[in-house]
Amino acid sequence: MVEHSMDIEQPTAADVGPPSTGEASLRVENISKSFRHVDALVDVSIELEPGEVVGLVGENGAGKSTLLSILTGVLDPDNGQLYRDNQPVEFAGPQEAASYGVSLVHQEQDVITHFRGYENLFLGRERESMGLLKMDEMSTDAQSFVDDLGIDIDVDKFVKDYSFNERQMLEIAKAFHVSSKSDNPVILLDEPTAGLEEDGRELLFDLIDDLRDEATFVFVSHELDEVLEITDRIYVLKDGELVDEYETDEATQDALQQSMVGRETSAEYYCVPDQRRESNLGDPVFEVNDIQHEDEIGPVSFSVRRGEVFGVVGVEGSGKERLGRILAGDTPATDGSLSVLGEEVQPESPVDMVDAGVGYIPKDRKSEGLLLYQSVLKNTSLAMVRDMYGRLPFLDTNAESSITEETIEDLNIKTPSANSLVHGLSGGNQQKVVIARWLAHETPVLVMDNVSRGIDVGAKEEVYRLCRELTAEGISIVLIGDELPEVIGLSNRIAVMQDGSFADEPIDASPDAKPTEEELIQLMV
Amino acid sequence: MSTNNTTDTVRNWWHEQREQRTRQDWIIDLGPFVMLFGLMTLFSILSQNFLTYGNLINNVAVNSALLLLVALAGTFPILQQSIDLSVAALVNLSGVLTVILVAQFGFLAIPMVLLAGMLAGFANGYVFAKLKVPSFLVTLGTMSVMTGVALIITGGSSINFRNDAIRGIATGEYLPGIPNLVFWSVLIYLGTVFLALRTKFGRYCYALGENERVVELSGAKVDRYKIYPFVLSGLLCAIGGFLLAARLSSASPDAGTDLLLPSIAAIVMGGTALTGGVGGPHRTILGVLVIAVLQNGMNLTAVDPFVQEIILGVVVVVAVALSIDRRKIDVVK
Repeated sequence: MVEHSMDIEQPTAADVGPPSTGEASLRVENISKSFRHVDALVDVSIELEPGEVVGLVGENGAGKSTLLSILTGVLDPDNGQLYRDNQPVEFAGPQEAASYGVSLVHQEQDVITHFRGYENLFLGRERESMGLLKMDEMSTDAQSFVDDLGIDIDVDKFVKDYSFNERQMLEIAKAFHVSSKSDNPVILLDEPTAGLEEDGRELLFDLIDDLRDEATFVFVSHELDEVLEITDRIYVLKDGELVDEYETDEATQDALQQSMVGRETSAEYYCVPDQRRESNLGDPVFEVNDIQHEDEIGPVSFSVRRGEVFGVVGVEGSGKERLGRILAGDTPATDGSLSVLGEEVQPESPVDMVDAGVGYIPKDRKSEGLLLYQSVLKNTSLAMVRDMYGRLPFLDTNAESSITEETIEDLNIKTPSANSLVHGLSGGNQQKVVIARWLAHETPVLVMDNVSRGIDVGAKEEVYRLCRELTAEGISIVLIGDELPEVIGLSNRIAVMQDGSFADEPIDASPDAKPTEEELIQLMV
Repeated sequence: MSTNNTTDTVRNWWHEQREQRTRQDWIIDLGPFVMLFGLMTLFSILSQNFLTYGNLINNVAVNSALLLLVALAGTFPILQQSIDLSVAALVNLSGVLTVILVAQFGFLAIPMVLLAGMLAGFANGYVFAKLKVPSFLVTLGTMSVMTGVALIITGGSSINFRNDAIRGIATGEYLPGIPNLVFWSVLIYLGTVFLALRTKFGRYCYALGENERVVELSGAKVDRYKIYPFVLSGLLCAIGGFLLAARLSSASPDAGTDLLLPSIAAIVMGGTALTGGVGGPHRTILGVLVIAVLQNGMNLTAVDPFVQEIILGVVVVVAVALSIDRRKIDVVK
C-alpha cells in the first residue's frame, strides 16, 4: 500500500506516456511550445525505439520543425520532458544533443564547400596536437569511418567537387560522426530527399536500410510515398498536435492526407458561396501581354477582370514564383508589356508597378514583407507614404495614422495598438499587415504568392474571407500558390504553369465547376 | 470609472511593454539618461564649478557643438544601415575651403562651402547606392581623398583669414547668453529631428535600415533614398567645418580629425544601432552630451589628459557593447 502511493507521487518513467514495447532510445513526453500567440506544439508525446525508422508528416506549420528543434536542443520546450534511453535529459543546444547521440541532417545542405570532406566531418571537433591539425590522422579516420558506414565518398576531395548526392551522404556521415560516442544514435532527417534525383534517393534509402541496426531514424518529408516506402511507423502532426499514429503497413497515402488536413476541404472554408460569378465580374483591369524574362519565363499572356481571383499553380521550378516577381516589377520583363486599368507599363522595378496600381505580397513575409521591428503603423503606411505629402516637406502624420487605424480595424488586425511592433503579432495578423499596406495605398491589383503560408488554420480562414471581401470591393487578385486546395477554392480561373509558361488555357473554376486537385496535377507534370 | 479606465490603460501599456521589450531595450532607451545623470551628479560632487551656467554653456555646450553636428551627420547613414567614415575629413576640408573662399568671395563663400559638402556627400552616396560598393569602403576612400585635397590646399599647415563678420557667425551671440555655436547646433539638431521623424525621407531611412527588400517591394525609389542621407551628411559636415573655421579664423587639415570615433560612439550610445533601423538624431544628442560631460568633468577634476584618453576609450567601448542591438547581431561584422 505504502509502496503503491509512492508510485503515484513519483511515477517512474515507464508508468506514464504511451505504452512502450521496449527500451525507447528517445522519448518525448507531453511537449508543448508556443511562440507568443501561436501554439506550435501542444502536448506532443512520441517514442522512438532502437532500429526504427519513424516518419513524421504534417502540413507546413504543423509543428514538425519545432519538434525537430526541440529534439536537437535548438529550442527549449515550454512544458514536457525528453528522455534519452529512459533517462530524463535536457539539451542546451545541438552540441549537447549530439553528445547524447541525437543529431540532425539539415534540409539545406550544411557543408562548407571550400573544405575537404574530412575537414567537414571533423568540423568544430578537429584533432590537433600542440595547436597543429593532425590532418593525416583525420583523413585516414574519416575515410575508414565512412567506409564502415558503407558510404562511398572520397573524404580527401573538396566538397565543392562532390555531387549533390555525395554531399547528402557526407551530411549523414557527419550526423553519425558527431554522435559516434553513442552506441544507438538518433538521426533526424529533415526533408532528406529534397533535391535528390531518383537514383540518389534509392542510394539514400539503401543506406538507411543498411544502417537500421545501428541507429534510429526520424524521417521528415512532404513526399508521402517516400515516407510509406522507408518508414516502420508514422506520426502525423496537425496544428501542433499529434493527431494520428500509423504502423506503416496499415497506412495509405489517402489516410495520411486525411489525417494531415483533418477536414474535408469544404467550400465553406474558402468562402466559395461568396465567390463572384463570371457574369458578375467587371471589365479587365490587369492585362498581361506576352510578358517574358529572358528565355526562362514566358511568353505569358492573360487578363484579370475586376473582382476576379486568377490562380496560378505549378510544380516547384515551374516559374510561377518568377512570374509573380515579374508582375511585381521585381524581376524586370525583357519583353512584352502589362497594362493596368488601360495604362500600359513596361515594368523595370517595383516602382513602376506600384505606380500603375499593382501590389505584391511575397511568399516570405519575414524577409520581404515586413519591417519586423517597426510598428504596425509604419508597416501599414509604408506604401502609402510614397505618394503622400502633407505640408511640404513634412508627412501628414494625422492622415497617416487615421487611415492606418481605419485599415487595422477593417481587417480586424489583432494588435495591442498601432504602435506595437509587428514582430510580436501572430503570423496571421502579420500577413494581414502586409495586405493592409496595399489597401491603405488603394491598390486595385494584388499579386499574392502563397498568401496563407505558415499561418494557422483559423488565420487562414480569415485571410481567405478577407480575399473575398477584397474582390467584393472590386480588387483583382493574382493568386500564386503551392497549396492546390487553396488556389482551387479561391480562384475564378486557374492557369497551370510548366517550364516557364502556361501549359494550357486557364481552367474555369467558377463555384459550381471547380476542378479537382488530380485534374490540376495531371496538367502540372 | 474614468480612473479605472486610466489605470487599465496604464496597466495594459505596461503589460505590453513588459511583454515586448527585453532588458536590452530598456538599457538602450534609458542607458544614456542614466549615464548622463550619473556623470553630472558625480562631477557636481567632485567639482564646485561643474554645475554652473558658465561651465555648462561656455564649455560643455560650446565644445560639444561641433561633435553634435558631426554625430548628427553620421546618424542618418547609420540609421539606414550604412556608415559615413568621411565626416571628420569633410569637416577639415570644408574648414580649409572656407578660409580660401572667404578671402576671395566673402559671404558668398558660405553657400559655396555648403554646396561642396553636399557634392562630396552625393559622391559617397552615389558610389554606395548605384555601384553597390559597401559604404564603409567608399567613405574610407573618400576620407583619404578629402584629407589629401585639404593637405594640398594648405601645404600641410594651418591657414588664416580675417573677416570679423564671418567670425561673428560662430562666436557672437544672437540670443543674449547663448553663444552662436550653441544656437546653430541646437537649430540644426531640431531640423534633423524633424527630418527623421516627420518626413518621408526619415521614414525611409528607418525602413531601409530595417529591411531594404521590403522597402523596394513597397515601390519606393530605393537608390535615391540611399543617397540622400549621405548628401545630408555632407551638408552637416560642411556646416561644421565652416563654423569651426569661422570660430578660429583659421583652418588646418587636421583640426577635426579627432571627431570621427567620438561621433560614432555618440551615435551608438544614443541608441542608433550600427545595424540600422532604430534610434535617430533625437537620441544622438544624448550620446554627445555624455561624451561632452565626461570630457569636461575630467578636465575640471584635473584628470591627466593621457589618462582621459584611456577612460574615454573604455567608456565608449562599454557603452557601445551594452547598446548594440543583439536581435540583429548576425549582421554586425
